[in-house]
Amino acid sequence: MALLELRNVSKSFAQATGALRVLENISFTVEQGEFVAVVGPSGCGKSTMLRIINGLMPPTSGQVLYRGRQIDGINLDCAMVFQSFALMPWLTVKANVELGLEARGVAPAEREKRASVYIDKVGLDGFEEAYPRELSGGMKQRVGLARALAVEPQLLLMDEPFSALDALTAITLREELLDIWQSADMPVHNIIIVTHMIEEAVELADRILVLASGPGRLVADLKVDLPRPRDRRKEAFNALTDKVFSLIEERA
Amino acid sequence: MESNTIAVRRLTSGTIAFLLIAVFVALFFAYERHGAKLHAPRIHVAIRNLPYYAFCSFMRMLVAYGFSLIFALVYGLLAGTSRAYERVLIPAIDIAQSVPVVGFFPAAIYFFVSLAHGSRIGVEMAAVFLIFTSQAWNMALGVYEAVRTLPTDSVEALEVFGASGWLKLRRLLIPACVPKLVYNSILSWVSGWYYIIACEIITAGPAHYQLPGLGSYLMTAADKGRTGEIIAGLLALLAIIILMDAIIWQPLSLWAERFRYEFAASTEPIRSLGMLDALGSIGPTVLRLIQTVSRPIARTVRGAFVSVRPFNPAEHPALRRIARWLRLAAQAAIFFFIAWGLIDGMVALARTLARPWPAEVRQIPLATLASFGRIILAYAISLAWTVPCAIAASESQRFARRLAPIAEIVGSMPATALFPLIVLFVIKLTGGMNLASILLIITGMQWYLLFNLLAGVSQVPADLKEAARSFGLSRAATWRKLTLPAVLPSLITGSITAWGGGWNALILSEYFVYRDKTYQVFGLGALLDDATYRTDNSLMILLTLLSMVLVVIVLNRVVWRRLYDLAADRYRIEY
Repeated sequence: MALLELRNVSKSFAQATGALRVLENISFTVEQGEFVAVVGPSGCGKSTMLRIINGLMPPTSGQVLYRGRQIDGINLDCAMVFQSFALMPWLTVKANVELGLEARGVAPAEREKRASVYIDKVGLDGFEEAYPRELSGGMKQRVGLARALAVEPQLLLMDEPFSALDALTAITLREELLDIWQSADMPVHNIIIVTHMIEEAVELADRILVLASGPGRLVADLKVDLPRPRDRRKEAFNALTDKVFSLIEERA
Repeated sequence: MESNTIAVRRLTSGTIAFLLIAVFVALFFAYERHGAKLHAPRIHVAIRNLPYYAFCSFMRMLVAYGFSLIFALVYGLLAGTSRAYERVLIPAIDIAQSVPVVGFFPAAIYFFVSLAHGSRIGVEMAAVFLIFTSQAWNMALGVYEAVRTLPTDSVEALEVFGASGWLKLRRLLIPACVPKLVYNSILSWVSGWYYIIACEIITAGPAHYQLPGLGSYLMTAADKGRTGEIIAGLLALLAIIILMDAIIWQPLSLWAERFRYEFAASTEPIRSLGMLDALGSIGPTVLRLIQTVSRPIARTVRGAFVSVRPFNPAEHPALRRIARWLRLAAQAAIFFFIAWGLIDGMVALARTLARPWPAEVRQIPLATLASFGRIILAYAISLAWTVPCAIAASESQRFARRLAPIAEIVGSMPATALFPLIVLFVIKLTGGMNLASILLIITGMQWYLLFNLLAGVSQVPADLKEAARSFGLSRAATWRKLTLPAVLPSLITGSITAWGGGWNALILSEYFVYRDKTYQVFGLGALLDDATYRTDNSLMILLTLLSMVLVVIVLNRVVWRRLYDLAADRYRIEY
């Protein structure tokens, strides 16, 4: 059974000037163990689609099936990493990471243990009592990642997680993300990442879904067969990047 | 050592501030010797006069608002763009805000009436001045905040192109002030209505001043027991407020959204006014009509100047020198004017204090305590309903959208208009004024709390709300971890303003004359009003006023400032 299935999902927003159609008939499946990237120009509704998958908003029409069942409200098997980090400024790193665990009613001792593990995993050991405003952008996103991993989700959703970071930090974090995904003792086996950077999608994902804008439509579903670790200077890499780019361009 | 110097500086600035206030207050009283008798026009309580009275009150509000707007822009821009001015102007406004407006009613009357040599213009000026003092400070602070929080990127972007001062003003500074100005204008009008009702009839000792207007109409009607006319007056007031909201404030708020600095696209649909939509389009239509005439004129005028070479001050050293002398002369004039006022005030202060102190002075400390207790109770009750309202607004968009206009309208209805009815009703029930007084204080506090809380709730970043929902936080956990910490700064700002309003309401509510009967409770406000209306003892007025101001300033420094620093430090949301 597929982990996640979207059937003819559409989304419109009510505006003063009429309904704004953001997504149009999106259908695809995600199997167990896949790393999926969703690319498209801004305004194609990819972030909206991610939120529909998480259950933050319902689709206007169509269905979202998680493990064969329609989701109702927030899907607690998922965890999201936000573009703007979305950390609570008045909570320490530790308290932020424990947030999801606390919401699920995990006991304090157990919470602390798990949080420590994941804070360590993202390389922020020693920063447990720091406040977000004392951290750099890369560190803040690491906290966001730790927070998502701490609840040990089946499906990790990432909304342009590295777009707000400088290029060097982003490179480092991408590598760390791949390490986490590939290590055996990490609970997360599925990742859906939304990004506007095509190279990022080709570097990270097994599968690339290409969305076009106005309104958002799925125009292509490409498999990425390149062996990891992927090298941007290789011919195959660039060929794939060009292909994705042309797919976006011709539909623009 | 550094903390010591800061503490010392704070102490000295506080003392200086207090002394300055004492001196200015005394200055007002210096004019007591010119107190003139005024033949006030009689108020005819008849519904057909209502439109005229409503118009009078509205015009007074408009004039005061005009002054407040100009003041706010000049003062706020000066303070926001120049560090030197900021150091003087902002503490001055802090102090001005702490002084209860209502306490100055008699003093302002004395001052302006003597200035106008006893004519009615003097009383009108006094009323306009009082409304101005209730409106100007928060607007000026709004402008100041807007200018100070301008993103430096935007400022630099304009400077890089060599933009002149005027261009910066027109394209950057003034547009940046628009959202805060609109928001604070709405608050200022609410404040204004509250005080105008109370200040159209002033009884200061033997003198009795009345201005034609809604306030005096309502008071006179209440005095004569004409309930039908009272209701008509209240309805007229309500109609004005609703019409202003629909025609002016709602469209203005929508337009002001354009000037907001935001980095995420908003998916919230813009508020629709429903059946009042037609009214909302009146403003823009009128504006467009005016523009069809004004635009061509402006274009021709500008065209005439295009051929003139742009004026570069650097090329005219002589003019520069003249300008510098002019500026020095202006600064000297202002300095001497203030110095003269201070000296005159100090003399008057010394003279007043030298008089024999009345026996009632001994009651001041206990009275202060009693009044303080009343305000705390009123504050607690106000919090008890406004915080849950704000939390409900944070959870449901629809509730927030419905609540905002209702709160604006109900909150705009000046409780002062209902004072007589409330007092009588409660007295018939309980026989004492304590409850009535507390109720009236609540009416003067709760709206500030509510509006600030609602503003804070609306500013909770969407991504934090999404994160909370995404991780499955329960409702209670969301309040604890997200909503309440996020609105803490707004709660504190709202509380500071609410306490200011509370002191004003206190003065109005602890002492009440109705149908020649005096209702009062033991408190600082009652002492002040007693001294004003009954004994006309200016020394007593001065002492009670100063005690009140002292309490307010101490509270501000010791409690509110610390809380605000804490909130700004730990609970600030920034990226």
